[in-house]
Amino acid sequence: MDTAKKRARIIFHIDMNSFYASVETAHDPELRGKPLAIAGKVEDRRGIVVTSSYEARAQGVRTTMPVWEAKRHCPELIVKTPNFPLYRATSQRLFQLLRSYTPLVQKVSIDEGYMDVTEVASDIHPVQLAKSIQQKVLDTLKVPSSIGIAPNKFLAKMASDMKKPLGITVLRKRDIQSKLWPLAVGEMHGVGSKTEEKLKRIGIHTIGDLAKSDKAYIAERFGLYGEKLYERANGIDHRMVDPEAEETFKSISQSTTLSDDTTSVAVVRKTLMMLAEKIEGRLRKKKVSAYQITLSIRYHDWKNISRGHTVKQPIQTKDDIMGHIMPIFHEHWDGRPIRLLGITVQSFEELGHASKQLDLFSYQSDLKDEPLIQAINQIESKFGEGMIGSAANYKNAHRSRKKDAGHDH
Amino acid sequence: MQDVMNSNNHDTALAMKFSITKDKLVENVNHVMKAVSSKTTIPILTGIKITASHDGITLTGSNSDISIKSFIPLEENDEEYATIEKTGSVVLQARVFSDIVKKLPSEFVNIEVDSRLITRITSGSSEFNLNGLDAEEYPRLPLIEEGNVLHVRTDLLKHVIRQTGFAVSTSETRPVLTGVNWNIQNGNLNCVATDSHRLASRTISIDADENAEYKNIVIPGKSLNELSKILDDSSGEWVEIVITESQILFKTKHLQFYSRLLDGNYPDTNRLIPTESKTDIILSTKALLQAIDRASLLAKEERNNVVKFRTLEDSIEISSQSAELGRVFENVELQSLEGEELKISFSAKYMIDALSRIESQEIRISFTGAMRPFLIRPVEDEGILMLILPVRTY
Repeated sequence: MDTAKKRARIIFHIDMNSFYASVETAHDPELRGKPLAIAGKVEDRRGIVVTSSYEARAQGVRTTMPVWEAKRHCPELIVKTPNFPLYRATSQRLFQLLRSYTPLVQKVSIDEGYMDVTEVASDIHPVQLAKSIQQKVLDTLKVPSSIGIAPNKFLAKMASDMKKPLGITVLRKRDIQSKLWPLAVGEMHGVGSKTEEKLKRIGIHTIGDLAKSDKAYIAERFGLYGEKLYERANGIDHRMVDPEAEETFKSISQSTTLSDDTTSVAVVRKTLMMLAEKIEGRLRKKKVSAYQITLSIRYHDWKNISRGHTVKQPIQTKDDIMGHIMPIFHEHWDGRPIRLLGITVQSFEELGHASKQLDLFSYQSDLKDEPLIQAINQIESKFGEGMIGSAANYKNAHRSRKKDAGHDH
Repeated sequence: MQDVMNSNNHDTALAMKFSITKDKLVENVNHVMKAVSSKTTIPILTGIKITASHDGITLTGSNSDISIKSFIPLEENDEEYATIEKTGSVVLQARVFSDIVKKLPSEFVNIEVDSRLITRITSGSSEFNLNGLDAEEYPRLPLIEEGNVLHVRTDLLKHVIRQTGFAVSTSETRPVLTGVNWNIQNGNLNCVATDSHRLASRTISIDADENAEYKNIVIPGKSLNELSKILDDSSGEWVEIVITESQILFKTKHLQFYSRLLDGNYPDTNRLIPTESKTDIILSTKALLQAIDRASLLAKEERNNVVKFRTLEDSIEISSQSAELGRVFENVELQSLEGEELKISFSAKYMIDALSRIESQEIRISFTGAMRPFLIRPVEDEGILMLILPVRTY
């Protein structure tokens, strides 16, 4: 923190422009210059626009718009289903490329990241550097990006948003008043629609309003989060670019819209089972277990609820998931027709560090592993700790060093 | 016209009138407020029922789980608490009434209800007029026939509640585990609570009919907690306990506390308590509690609050580590160690909960393996037993 204050840093925020659509276009030159949307299954109503090209946006196509509506705005719209493996591979190449400039690269999601270029920019002008990175990305990946240049992460993020596509925007501390403050507070990174509403209710409409408000008052209403927002609005953000942070992800979610609204418990169970299976697969791939589970229900009238709890036994398998999710469902479902179901697990622990609070009524089922654990203890007391461990943990130790381009958040 | 005249006469007629010392009123309102919930399906239960009779004033509060009746005598120990001018009853909005009486300016309060149930509360120069509800609408408390009555000293009852109530489950997954299971047999009362990760059991002898036998009485942990708060153990009073099919009544001189009993069969925990052990240690309760407390400074940052525990020659080593914060080691001296060496992990919180409820200076901990429940008991007193399930680390 001290060094951060003493020495001005130069932070880039790189944001890929309509990433999925750009990647598709890069791989199929036929698509260039045409309105393109990436959407879920096109044939049923799961088809919601995930992203679209600038050509499509110009004709009113918006993210989360159902495909039929998008087509009404833009009849010649080309709709493709997402090709996640391709996007992940492209993302991986992108970050490799960024790391060739500096190791201080923090991946935030599949298509955006921060770079701390303070050292690199000592013998090249930051804007020159940004231009060269942007050109290099465009040349090798054929994907446009926007870069924000600022003394900290928040301002860099806000800056990259200001000019798209292929924009480069510098946001200095002294530019805040003119460039940042006039923006609606909802435009601010970190302010969701709920917060925006609450802020508006207390008369805060622009980022400037927030910056000029009373810090104590904001802190009182919004807690620590509010304090941070207030600071950011004033251009203050002490977060460092952390190359390690990319490895951590906070939750895994799976959800699906039902092809017909349902009140059938059997359908719900089958659907949740399918989601649970997917989550099990993702957990296995990540080599983690989860300690929090949430069920989301969207009713036919688009009312959403999510209910969950924290557990003491690590969640690893679909049976673990079902064992928690069905009781949550029965407790909270009010009997109305359901349109969408989702499961989120979070609060992860690497398998090697997992711990399970045993249960008086079921600990017997763990006893089958007791001889093994005793054997491990004996070997350890003879040869020292860490001499032996389960194979899953061993593999994990190696796997975790590899880059994973998953899009979990 | 005649009717109107009559009703006008009634309007001015007095339905109830008394005066009372403010302190006594506040104290008793606080008691019954423990039973009043703002979330109730029966609107009148958001109120407190106030009844003035010739011998005193009774306050009643109730929710679906508990009902509390608190009595204020006209006088006691040469102190005058209340005077009644007209007997009667009314129901007043509990939250508002309770807030009002706490803030009244004088040490005396006059309460006057007219036939339209408008309630005038005056104290010093302050006057409140509240709309009352008809006390006839207030549900009757369960009628409990006093067949077998058990007697327990108030301080002992509070003790038993403290030593078991903490271990009830807070999750509704198995509702019966949110209660404390009471069994009465051969003049003994055994109380057991478990959230399935730890268990607390306490047995005391009570004053009851030799033949009195009750099994599977499951009292909501919340009820016992509230009861414990309002029982006054300074007076050396005894509590009378009456148990029926679906209710339990705790009675002291001026207090009646009813609680619903939980449905369902409480699991047979006796067979879950290990009877043999492979490693037995005896050590100072306080030394262990303090060491675990220190280790938990790091453990509480981690999942399941894990501390590691292993036996050395004549001591045990307690350790804990947090990926972010660092690690801690501490040795605690043992009075004795019998049996195999052992390494085990458990939740610091559960250990602290259990140890802080054992008064005796030395405890015996009996282990039967790293993945099996272990027992903590005072070396002397056999009436109390704490069981904890370990944490399995991978």
